[in-house]
Amino acid sequence: MAARRRKYIYIAIPAVLLVLAFILFPLINAVKLSLYKWNGYSQSMRFIGADNYVKAFSDKFFWSSLGNTLIYGFGSTLLQNLGGLAAALFLNKKFVGRNALRAILYMPIMISPFLMGQIMYYFVQYEGGVFNELLGVLGMNPVYWMESGLSSTIMITLINSWQYMGLCMIIYLAGLQNIPEMYREAARLDGAGKFAEFRKVTVPLLIPSITTAVVTNLIGGLKLYDVIVALSNGGPNRQSMSLAFYIQVLYFNDESAGYASAIGILTFLMILIITLPINALLRRREVEY
Amino acid sequence: MSMTALVPQKKGRLHKDVKWWYYLIAILLVLVFLLPIYVLCNLSFRTIQDLGSKLQLPYILNLGNYITAFQDKSLWRGFGNSILLAGETVILEILISALGAYGLARSSNRIAEGIRTFNMAIMMIPGTALLVGTYSLMVNFGMANTIWGLALLSAAGGIPGTMFMYVNFVASIPKALDEAAMIDGAGIMRTFLQIIMPQLKAVTVTRVIMSATGSWNNYLMPMYLLQNKSKHTVILVIKAAFNTGNGIGNLPLACATCVLGLLPIIILYIFLQRYIIEGQIDSSVK
Repeated sequence: MAARRRKYIYIAIPAVLLVLAFILFPLINAVKLSLYKWNGYSQSMRFIGADNYVKAFSDKFFWSSLGNTLIYGFGSTLLQNLGGLAAALFLNKKFVGRNALRAILYMPIMISPFLMGQIMYYFVQYEGGVFNELLGVLGMNPVYWMESGLSSTIMITLINSWQYMGLCMIIYLAGLQNIPEMYREAARLDGAGKFAEFRKVTVPLLIPSITTAVVTNLIGGLKLYDVIVALSNGGPNRQSMSLAFYIQVLYFNDESAGYASAIGILTFLMILIITLPINALLRRREVEY
Repeated sequence: MSMTALVPQKKGRLHKDVKWWYYLIAILLVLVFLLPIYVLCNLSFRTIQDLGSKLQLPYILNLGNYITAFQDKSLWRGFGNSILLAGETVILEILISALGAYGLARSSNRIAEGIRTFNMAIMMIPGTALLVGTYSLMVNFGMANTIWGLALLSAAGGIPGTMFMYVNFVASIPKALDEAAMIDGAGIMRTFLQIIMPQLKAVTVTRVIMSATGSWNNYLMPMYLLQNKSKHTVILVIKAAFNTGNGIGNLPLACATCVLGLLPIIILYIFLQRYIIEGQIDSSVK
C-alpha cells in the first residue's frame, strides 16, 4: 500500500513539468532579461543591473499606464460587483423568463473580449457611432467619447464592466441561493426591515461570494489588454495604455525587450501587492454557518 | 410590520403589485445586453455604400456579404485552426490536470490548499508580463507558428486552475473504490481511467467548455505566436477583416465574417448554457 501510495505522485509529473516549462521558466527568464539592455532579437545583450527598474520611475508612460491600470482594475471591480449584486438580487426574485434573462446577461462573457471591443468600437465612434446616434435621438449634441486618455480609459472600463458583469451576477446568485431562508425569517421576526435584513443577514453571509467576485475581477481588470487593443489601441498618444498594453508596445514597437520584462515583473508585483491583502482581509471576514 | 410580512395572502398581493416593473427592468436589461449583437447583425446585411444609421434596419437587405464571407477560404482555415487549437488544448489540459489531481489528492490530503495558493499566483501573472520570456522560449524550441506549441502553452496556463477543481472532486471519491480496483488487479492508470474519470464527468464537462471557449477566444498569444497566415485562428481572421489599415475597409463584410465567426460559440452557448453557468458557479464556490 505504501509503495503504491508513493507511486501516485509520479502521475502528477506531466502537470508539474508543463507548469515549470511554460510558466515558471518564462517567469525566471523574464526576471533575468529585465536586468539586461536588449532589443529583443539581436545577439548582443548588455547586463545593466537594476537600471531598467530605476528607469521606470522616471518614465511618464509607466506612471500613466499604472494610473490607467488602477482605474481599469478598481473601476471594473466596483462596477461589476455593484451591477452584478443588483442583477443577482433582481434575478433571485421569481418571475417568468428569469432563466432566459440570466442566460442573456451572462452571454457577453462567451464572446472574445477582443471581438467585443471591435464591435463596441462602432458604438463609441464620434461620427456615426451608436452612442452619438442615441444622443441625437434625444436631441443632444454628439460627444467625443474617446477624446482624451482619461475619457478613453473610462469608456473602456465601462465596456469591460458591462461585458463581465454576468460573472459577478452568477457568483452572487449562487451565494444568495446558499443562504438558508430561516436566517432571513429570523431577522424578519425580530422586526428587521428590508434594508436591515440585507445589511445584517445577506451581506455577512455573502462575504465568501464577495471574496471570489472581488479578487477574480480585480485580477482580470489589472491584467486588461484585449479590449484596449480593439477600442483605443492605447491612444490617443498612448494615454489609455494599461501596463499589460505598455509591455507589448515596448517589446514589439520600441524594441526594448529588457525594459518590457522589467515592467512585466513590476506589473506582476503590483497585482500581488494589491490582491493578496484584499484577499486576506475578505477571507478573515467570512463567517461559518 | 414584521408579523404582517409573514401572512401569506399579503405576500401574494405584494408579489402581484411589483410584477410590472420586474418586466420593465427585464426588457431594459435585454435591450442593453443584446444591442451590440443587434448592431453587428444589422451592419452585416448592409451594402458597402450604406453609411446610414447603425440602429435602423438597412434600406436594402444585402445577403451578399455572407456569401462572400462564406466563400472566403481564410475563414474556413481559421475555423480549422481554432478547432484544432481548442481540441488539443482541451485534451492536454483535461487529461494532464485530472491525472495530476488524482496523483496529488491520493498522496496527500493537504495538497489542495497548496494548489489553490499556487493557482492564484499563476492567475495574477499577466500574459503580457511573461511575453518576452514566453516568446523567446517558443521561438527557441521551434514552437512559434505551430498550433501544438500554442496548445501546450494554453494548456499549461489552464492546468493550475483545472487541477485545483479536480483535486476538490477527487478528494470526495472514497479511497475504498481505488482499493477495490487494486485488489482486482488494476494498476494506477487503469484505476484512473476506468474508476476515477467516470466519477468526474460533471466537472469534466464544465472544464472542457471553459477551456475550449478560453482557447477559442484567446487573442494575445495567437496574435504573436501564429504570425504565419496559414495558422491564423478565427479571431485573427476576423481582426484582419475589420482591418482598415490598407485604406480599403469593408465594414459590412467584416461584420458578416464576425457573425459567422461568433456563431459556433453562440450556438454552443444556447445549447449548453445550463452547464456553462453551473460550471461557473462550481468554480467560484469551491
